[in-house]
Amino acid sequence: MKLVSSLIGKLHNVRALNKMKPLIDAMDAGILGPEDLTEGRPHLVDNVDIKRYMSMVILALVPATLASILFYRWDAIRLIAISYIVGGTVEVIFAIIRKHDIHEGFLITGLIFPLVLPPSTPSWIVAVGVVFGTMFGKEMFGGTGRNIFNPALVGRLFITIAFPATMTTNWKMPFAAADAVTVATPLSAFKTEGITASFTDLLIGNTAGSMGETCRIVIILGGIFLILTKVSNWRVPVCYISTVFLFALIGNHFLPERIAPPVFQVFAGGLLFGAFFMATDPVTSPFTRTGKYIFGISCGILTVLIRSFSGYVEGVMFSIVIMNAFNPLIDQIVLMFKYRPAKA
Amino acid sequence: MTPEQKKFAKGYRFNNFEGQPEAKISQLDIPSKVTIPLKQGFGDEVAPIVEIGQTVEAGQIIGRDDESISSPVHSSINGEVVAIEKIDYLGEETTVITIESNGNDGLQTLPGASVNWQDMPADTIDELVYLSGAASSGTSGIPTTFNSASIMPNEVENVIVQGVASQIHNISLEVLLKGDILSHFTAGLKILKKLMPKARFHMALDESQNRTISKALQLMSPVKTINVFTVPRKYPLHRDEVLIPLLLGQKIPHGYLAANIGAIVLDIPAILAVYDAVTEGIPLIEKTIALCGPGFRENTHVKARIGTCLEDILKKRTKPGKDIRLVKNSCLTGNTLTDMSLPISRTFNSIIALTEGTEREFLSFVRPGVNKDSFSRVFLSSLFEGLSPRIKKGCDTNLHGEVRPCIACGFCEDVCPVNLIPHLLFHQVQNDVIDELLINYKIFDCIDCNLCTYVCTSKIPLAKYIKDGREKLADEGLTCPEPDFPLKGVKP
Ligand code: SF4
Ligand code: SF4
Repeated sequence: MKLVSSLIGKLHNVRALNKMKPLIDAMDAGILGPEDLTEGRPHLVDNVDIKRYMSMVILALVPATLASILFYRWDAIRLIAISYIVGGTVEVIFAIIRKHDIHEGFLITGLIFPLVLPPSTPSWIVAVGVVFGTMFGKEMFGGTGRNIFNPALVGRLFITIAFPATMTTNWKMPFAAADAVTVATPLSAFKTEGITASFTDLLIGNTAGSMGETCRIVIILGGIFLILTKVSNWRVPVCYISTVFLFALIGNHFLPERIAPPVFQVFAGGLLFGAFFMATDPVTSPFTRTGKYIFGISCGILTVLIRSFSGYVEGVMFSIVIMNAFNPLIDQIVLMFKYRPAKA
Repeated sequence: MTPEQKKFAKGYRFNNFEGQPEAKISQLDIPSKVTIPLKQGFGDEVAPIVEIGQTVEAGQIIGRDDESISSPVHSSINGEVVAIEKIDYLGEETTVITIESNGNDGLQTLPGASVNWQDMPADTIDELVYLSGAASSGTSGIPTTFNSASIMPNEVENVIVQGVASQIHNISLEVLLKGDILSHFTAGLKILKKLMPKARFHMALDESQNRTISKALQLMSPVKTINVFTVPRKYPLHRDEVLIPLLLGQKIPHGYLAANIGAIVLDIPAILAVYDAVTEGIPLIEKTIALCGPGFRENTHVKARIGTCLEDILKKRTKPGKDIRLVKNSCLTGNTLTDMSLPISRTFNSIIALTEGTEREFLSFVRPGVNKDSFSRVFLSSLFEGLSPRIKKGCDTNLHGEVRPCIACGFCEDVCPVNLIPHLLFHQVQNDVIDELLINYKIFDCIDCNLCTYVCTSKIPLAKYIKDGREKLADEGLTCPEPDFPLKGVKP
């Protein structure tokens, strides 16, 4: 500990590293612990901070990450490593240019992003996606806290649209050899052939899909963990998932060829991952309670609609991004009703 | 009859913090010198009615003003007046009288006091409550015909006795009401009932601590004269602005006191002061103070004469060689006590010694955090809290993190006792958008409880921004709309 602290102290004094100040500060604060004191009133404050808060998200993602490494070995490690290295560099560069502290958000974005990619995504596409997501999803709006869209989703959406061939056909089964033939995901299998995958296969992840999205059981556990720690709010995922279920239940009754059955809808594709880890991002979802319900329900409806009636197989990402765009408006309308002037 | 349980969804429960005062009390020696502020508790500053060089007795009135809304101030020792001067007393310019002791320990009591208070006419009670200084207690004072509160005794509709333990550290009610004192307390209530005959009496007791007390109270009052409520141990239920809406369903308009809607809130020491004054003629010259927090060698209570300087109270009681921050009454809203020559006044009920959090914690954000308090449940402490009350949560003044942009986690909204959205107000004030919208978002409802700042994940001093916002609004001439129902008494 002494050694580390004197080492960091020395780094502070190296003139050549002056430019890298945010990086050194981040190491200092992260490793040696917070240094500032309360100014008084309040004299004591809660122990939670952004680092802890975000560590909980990472912790909740650990099982899904381990599952993806187990299923896809080096591919998984490769994608995560590239995403972190590129994402971290971009964050540091922006911190230096904008002269602010390094914000911890990239640690989450950098992990979520590879987990929603197909395992065989080429490395350079990953890098492009990360850079695009950070720049246009976050920094363009002024950085953490001001962003309207979830940066990981923006990156993912960009590469889906820019490189459709790689991103929509390159699926592999878990444990498959490097040169194994590509297969269809359960959702596209339903769309093209009307087959629904078995519930257990979906639950344990024995299907093709994005790296971290397939092993649903650990995603559910991670999501519940986040809700229990109060890091994410139950309103969005609960509304989202139950809307998908209900809508599919009704839709499947009338249009069984187009709209897949409810249980399959809930467990297939990226719905659980999206609902628990992406739609819950507090910055990009409404902060009012009513707004959260509206957000969750709308995401649910959009997801089923896109899955059933559009050219795309999966609708989770699109619906979350679309609703992200509406979230300031939703909040404004809810506030307008809540704080309506007393006299009419 | 069981007390009615009141629930409160907002606010925050401070559980198991280290440094709670034990139910022990010791009497301090009479100090060799006291400094008596002429503004103590509710009311304006009074004018000195003694001169330098004059000999005064303990219990003698040394400052009084019957015109303004105020209560008399007494000497707390026998001796000689050596100075009358203006000093900065906890941020307010205050006149103080310094008295040097002559070693005598007698006490001048008020004439007319008697244990047979039942036979006493109401105006004698009125006068005794005023002359004893007890009338300066509470947030609105106790009304007497001598102008000690902003309303008159016959205008009081509700009296609320507040035995809420909502702070991080709370004075022990067991100490305040031990032995016979419980009967003094019930007698004190009946005396007040004589003073304010039209008022209904209510009592709010902390649900966990006071089961025995509330039971005793029920047994002792054969006629149903007081409604006993139990309230959760949640901050800031001790505040009138939160307690009165909860118990009575009435709101206190911004800028007014509870008294303006006909309610008087008194704590337990205030009731005891009334009893002492009316039955024994003892003026309010002593105060029981809880010594809380990890900076003390022993967390107990002391009974000290008003005007005793902090140094005399703290000497040999704080831990040596430690960096300590001393705070008056509340870790969330209390003043920092830096000048040890300053005296205690009637408004003290606890002194909290916090360890300055200068020690940095290696890799602090990945620690299990068994003794770290948090509104969120990101530390193991939230698992152990219910399991073992013996695990005490630490209190040091470290910020426990770096300031970051707001991530809209919503914790501040979850705790705000008056249902504001603190981060919404913060964003507007930060962007310098000072307009009617802030008033529409109810910025004037904020009661400066500082709880939003306490819970903020991003370590943003929200309450400070909100306070700034109100000041900036006032600068622009935008004020809170006046209430549209009639109010009592004088506007503060
Ligand atoms: S906004 Fe005001 S009343 Fe609400 S928690 Fe913050 S300080 Fe307290
Ligand atoms: S607690 Fe802090 S970070 Fe969370 S919403 Fe309120 S201001 Fe924002």
